[in-house]
Amino acid sequence: MVPHRIIAVLLAAALTIGPTALAQQQVGTATAVNPESDSTPPGGSTVALTVGAKVVHKERIHTTPTGSVQLLFLDKSSLSIGPNTSILIDEFVYDPNTNSGHMVAKLTEGAMRYVGGQLSHQGAVTISTADATIGIRGGTATIIQGPNGTEVINHYGTITISNGTGTITITRPGFTVTITGWNIPPGQPARVTAAEISRYLKYLSSQFGQDGGIAGLKNIQYAACGTTTTQACPLPQWLSTSIGEDNGFQVIIQATQHASQPPPPPNTGGGYTGH
Amino acid sequence: MQVEAERALSRQFAGVVAPLALLVLSSVSAAAQNAPSFTGALDPLFQGVLTHPGRLDNAIQYASTAAQDGDVESAISAYEQLLFYNPRLPETRFDLAVLYYRLGSYDMARGYLQSALNLPNVSPDLHQKIDQLLELVNKKLYPDQFTGFVQSGIRYQSNASQGPGPQTKLAAGQSVNSAFAAKPDWNWYGTFGLDYVHDFEDQTATTFEASVLGYDAQQFTLHQFDVGLLEIRAGPRFSLAPGNANAVTIKPYLVATGALLADTPYSGGLGGGLTLHANIGTVSLDPYAEIVRQSYINSTFYPLASGLTGTLSTYGLQAAGPIGGGLSWQSRLAYAHAEDQFAFDSFNSYTADLWLPWNFYVFEGGKPWTLVPSGGVTQWLYGAPDPSINPAVTAHTTEWRVGLGLEVPVWDKFTLASLIQYRDDVSNVQSFSMHDLAVTAGPTFRF
Repeated sequence: MVPHRIIAVLLAAALTIGPTALAQQQVGTATAVNPESDSTPPGGSTVALTVGAKVVHKERIHTTPTGSVQLLFLDKSSLSIGPNTSILIDEFVYDPNTNSGHMVAKLTEGAMRYVGGQLSHQGAVTISTADATIGIRGGTATIIQGPNGTEVINHYGTITISNGTGTITITRPGFTVTITGWNIPPGQPARVTAAEISRYLKYLSSQFGQDGGIAGLKNIQYAACGTTTTQACPLPQWLSTSIGEDNGFQVIIQATQHASQPPPPPNTGGGYTGH
Repeated sequence: MQVEAERALSRQFAGVVAPLALLVLSSVSAAAQNAPSFTGALDPLFQGVLTHPGRLDNAIQYASTAAQDGDVESAISAYEQLLFYNPRLPETRFDLAVLYYRLGSYDMARGYLQSALNLPNVSPDLHQKIDQLLELVNKKLYPDQFTGFVQSGIRYQSNASQGPGPQTKLAAGQSVNSAFAAKPDWNWYGTFGLDYVHDFEDQTATTFEASVLGYDAQQFTLHQFDVGLLEIRAGPRFSLAPGNANAVTIKPYLVATGALLADTPYSGGLGGGLTLHANIGTVSLDPYAEIVRQSYINSTFYPLASGLTGTLSTYGLQAAGPIGGGLSWQSRLAYAHAEDQFAFDSFNSYTADLWLPWNFYVFEGGKPWTLVPSGGVTQWLYGAPDPSINPAVTAHTTEWRVGLGLEVPVWDKFTLASLIQYRDDVSNVQSFSMHDLAVTAGPTFRF
């Protein structure tokens, strides 16, 4: 409980001290960093980003062609940031006691994957690009900003994409929308290709030979499924092959009961239901 | 006496239903406890990751705990953090695939599985698990999805007629028709089930679903019990919240049934139903209501079959969930009301069934074997005394059944299935009492 009280007290203090102090308030941590990646806090100079570095309001993260970063935020959401990417953590307000607040980030160029936390569960996360404003409820999404516009891939939840022409919503995982300009209507959601998924899985993590700033992780055991202490791995739900047999038995039971007796006498007196 | 007997039967029924209800409630309760909370048990680990992300033991424990506690998105963030530290971890990629699968993000699951297979250090055991999940994921990503089985084999029954003993007396002292008294026999049987789903690929997540179940058994001696069945159900399924993988869905459907008995047409039915699907935690719930108008046809062996013509209404709940260690459960609770031509053929019935499929591995890197203990009970309460049997007694019958099935993988999608099943019908009408031991074995193709 103590850490949450500290966070809450710090947030409250930050609110009373003023905008400058708020801007310095930690909103997350750089949990993995591949060089060259750097950050620019508000009013500060650009420095090389390192694992464990605090992320604050208005901080800009920039990666080079070999750089990539993962940020973990106080609401348990994360951002995986690929090479050649520039992103500004514009606003992040979070009250752990009520799980409320909001997050706003600006993706200037490059690619990122947002994996949801408490704020996105409230629908309070917005990522803006030059071509669209993307609201995330749920939710997990990959967003790419390139010379041809913005591409949004929904992995989970509801993604609302707005620009100067209106709004379109992606509600199903595995669908993508491309927006080529602020004043150009977004395309309709379409199935993302396996090749695109593969490309961005590779792009939004360490490349072989990189270690995210933490060397020495050699192996870990299964955890999500497949051990005696975890749930079973997903398998097709067991489908009984004896349903027909059971139904057949019931037909025979009913038929035998009916046929093993002599015919009922006429005028059975109330037994006839009138069908 | 009859009231007391019905109460006794109700107590027996409750004895079966109560454990089933407890199983469902405990699973739901466990799921509710697993809901992620900022102030929950994860916090010390989460704080540790925030303040010292490089402490690998803490990071791994946070990832593992989040996954086990059902905090799927936090687990994804944590495992993706570990992949940043070492992208050559096939186990981590597999775990991420499982987590994305749980979110309904099948394309991401496929991406992680395929990337794991491209790594050189995949153990045979993990390779097997990846292949199994990849097959499942690929099916989910096709607009037209087919699943099902085909099975054929032979069966021995100690009471193929499902009839009473030959000495059983009816009203007025007559013996039962010997053609329908208990007799053993062998049969050859074939059965298949096919489930088809068409995904319209739109943002409403609407699908069209159809299922077909077929069964045919040819007796070696007692051909009056040759039986053939066909059931078809089809209808659209709508999601009530398309953005939520665990959203409730609703499906209205049409149902058509047909049956042959003694190799001649016996019955046909036409009707409709409504079913919902919901997930609460790890428990899936499928309540349904179905009304079918059934027509029966008289034949040489069954000259009174048309008396069974009427309407069958069924209201039920199918539920399933994992238990752990490869063990899961499936259950069915149902109430049915048959309004037939004669009141003594009309009935109310109550059914409870429980299956406990257990997947276990005999050989490393091999496919799982499946052992399925099962048990169930059905109680029929008829509408009026049957004057030809006993004008003073309204029949009520309770059927108890237990079974043990085993499926052994043979090759690819082929298994060898065997099932031993015992059923015991206890009735206050002697001619409705019977017991039967059935032993079944045959190859099965699942797809």
